[in-house]
Amino acid sequence: MATEVYRESFERRANKVIYLRFLEGLADTQVGPIYLGMWGALAFFSYLLCVFITAIGFGEQVGWNPIRFLRELPVLTLYPPAPSYGLQLAPLSEGGYWQLATLFLTLTLVFWTIRIWTRAVANQLRPMVPIAFSAALFLYAAIYIIHPISVNSWNEAPGHGLAAILLWTNHFSVKYGNFYYNPFHMVSIYALLGSTLLLAMHGATILSALRYDAHKEIDEIEKSDEGTHRSQLFWRWIMGFNATAHSIHVWALGFASLVAIAGAIGVITSAPFFEPNWFLWGCRADIVSSIQAACPNP
Amino acid sequence: MSEHEGAPPGAVAKYDERQREILRGELVGLVAFTILALGGVIAISLALTAPRELYGYRAEHMYNYAGVQQVDFTTYLQRVNRPLAQASAESLAAYAEWQRKNPRTVNVQVLNKYLGDKYNETANVFAYMNAYFTPGVGQSCEYCHNLQNFAEYSKPQKTVAKAMLIMQFELQAKWVNNIPRPEGQPLYQIKCATCHNGQAKFWNRDLKASNPEAFGIAGGGNPTRYDMKHNGITLNGKVPDSYEIVDDRYLAVRPDAEGNVNYFQVTADKNTPAGLADTYRNQYAMYHQNVALGVGCDFCHYGGYFKSYVTADGKFKWPKTQARHMQGLLQDIALNWFPQMPNINDVTKAQDYYAQPNCYMCHRGYVVPPGAYDFAEYPVKVADPQIKPIVDLPLPKPILPPS
Repeated sequence: MATEVYRESFERRANKVIYLRFLEGLADTQVGPIYLGMWGALAFFSYLLCVFITAIGFGEQVGWNPIRFLRELPVLTLYPPAPSYGLQLAPLSEGGYWQLATLFLTLTLVFWTIRIWTRAVANQLRPMVPIAFSAALFLYAAIYIIHPISVNSWNEAPGHGLAAILLWTNHFSVKYGNFYYNPFHMVSIYALLGSTLLLAMHGATILSALRYDAHKEIDEIEKSDEGTHRSQLFWRWIMGFNATAHSIHVWALGFASLVAIAGAIGVITSAPFFEPNWFLWGCRADIVSSIQAACPNP
Repeated sequence: MSEHEGAPPGAVAKYDERQREILRGELVGLVAFTILALGGVIAISLALTAPRELYGYRAEHMYNYAGVQQVDFTTYLQRVNRPLAQASAESLAAYAEWQRKNPRTVNVQVLNKYLGDKYNETANVFAYMNAYFTPGVGQSCEYCHNLQNFAEYSKPQKTVAKAMLIMQFELQAKWVNNIPRPEGQPLYQIKCATCHNGQAKFWNRDLKASNPEAFGIAGGGNPTRYDMKHNGITLNGKVPDSYEIVDDRYLAVRPDAEGNVNYFQVTADKNTPAGLADTYRNQYAMYHQNVALGVGCDFCHYGGYFKSYVTADGKFKWPKTQARHMQGLLQDIALNWFPQMPNINDVTKAQDYYAQPNCYMCHRGYVVPPGAYDFAEYPVKVADPQIKPIVDLPLPKPILPPS
């Protein structure tokens, strides 16, 4: 079957493979071979630089004290330049570190996308993984690059740090009048919840038909078997219709991508020149009648 | 023909058993994952959050929308293990002698001016001192007075106390008496205890540096010097050593011609300058108020839209308009009063060691400061106070419920 053919050719080409038995039941026990290549190396070194620059910024913040570094790591933040710098380059300690770290982080993500694209092509796979990854990359670009450039200030981008991204999410929402009323955010959340629902339905369905080899999904896409038939009958009984072994993956990819794409559009449209206050937009659109009492008088 | 036909005897049963084993493993894995994930989140949350905070500002049951005092001054002192000070026997004896010789006051300049002629009687002045000064500042009469001559200003403490008393009455008359409030909500009066809480020296730079917890500025939600530097928070042109709600921009805010004032406005409109630094600054100030008053954000705000003074069900958020009003009081203390208080080491000069005022200075984790007193006497607005404001701060136009 196709999977076994693939596995054999894969293992034949593998120079060195190790088996981690403790992964049994959780994942494939085979680890390796890993392909680095030029794009992988570039992504790796670029990410290394990003982490290094961030670590310098963090180190400066805690006075180069390793204990303070460990203790305060969750809240350490590499801030973007102050609003007064606009889109200009800032001195290192005043946002320059952030600019450098963001540059290398962006390069890392671009190199990584190219890496998974070239590996997919080299393996004669359709490049669906890099395409899906591009959706996440689009959201990243919207938050870190497109929106700040559109409002002419790097200061609107998140800082780098564990708490920083959470604070940015809150502050961005506060500044733009409550992000929950942003219709693109609504779609993004809808897709996020839809994704988890689909993933749970799909995962549970496949596991439920394990005894009929339903876990051999690639074979099923090519040739229906008893497990697929039974699963599809199950969902017809439950919902009246069913996905096919192929279409469920299209749905999953579509929903998951929509999370990032709708989110990115929501970020880009949150700007003084487009919609500076989503709550007031909600008032104007009269999308939820219960908020009208809190809406300002026209 | 079934695909199982021709399988060795027992193979299908063995296969099924293996599948059940796998399923059991998966179920155990799922349950273990859920427990670990939830447990992990709870453990991390507890590790990052002081239990006091969990019990404190997030507790809905502590909310006090009616503005009723949650803890009186003596109960508060018990909670913080601080004694309620009383006048010493020696000073009481000295006072009795002074009162016998001087039934009418000698050189009283402030009480009678703000509260009326009643305070031209020595006994009434003593009653006031004994009720408010001694427990409030935590000291007996001799801390400020020469017991042989209560009228003289030989001790610098008395000069400072007099200036503080003027500040107290002026702040009461200008800000507290005019606080916008719903009908029936009690009005309180500022006394020594409102800020001092039974301690004479409690609010200066040295104490702040050594014990920031006592100033309501310690903890994860407060910005570090690094955070302040990157979010444009400066005081006197420099990044302060520790967080102050009072910063240069805060001190520069004035009501516009129509009386509108915004100390921390951050919600964007078409003309809002770019950047999130203002939002950071706003959030630090809001967090300080959470801690200082022991409340969550929705005590003042409608969570759906923080800028609104009205909730979705039409309820007016009195605490928001009151907090805005009190920002003016804080600004007044920082601009006009603390810089003019006499220096204890040389009363001819102004003090230069004070810490900036903040909400915690009086509120101490409660909506109504424990050291606030029920209203007894209205201080009148004095036309010519002995200490005049440096900066004229007009009262902002109050934001009131839509009629």
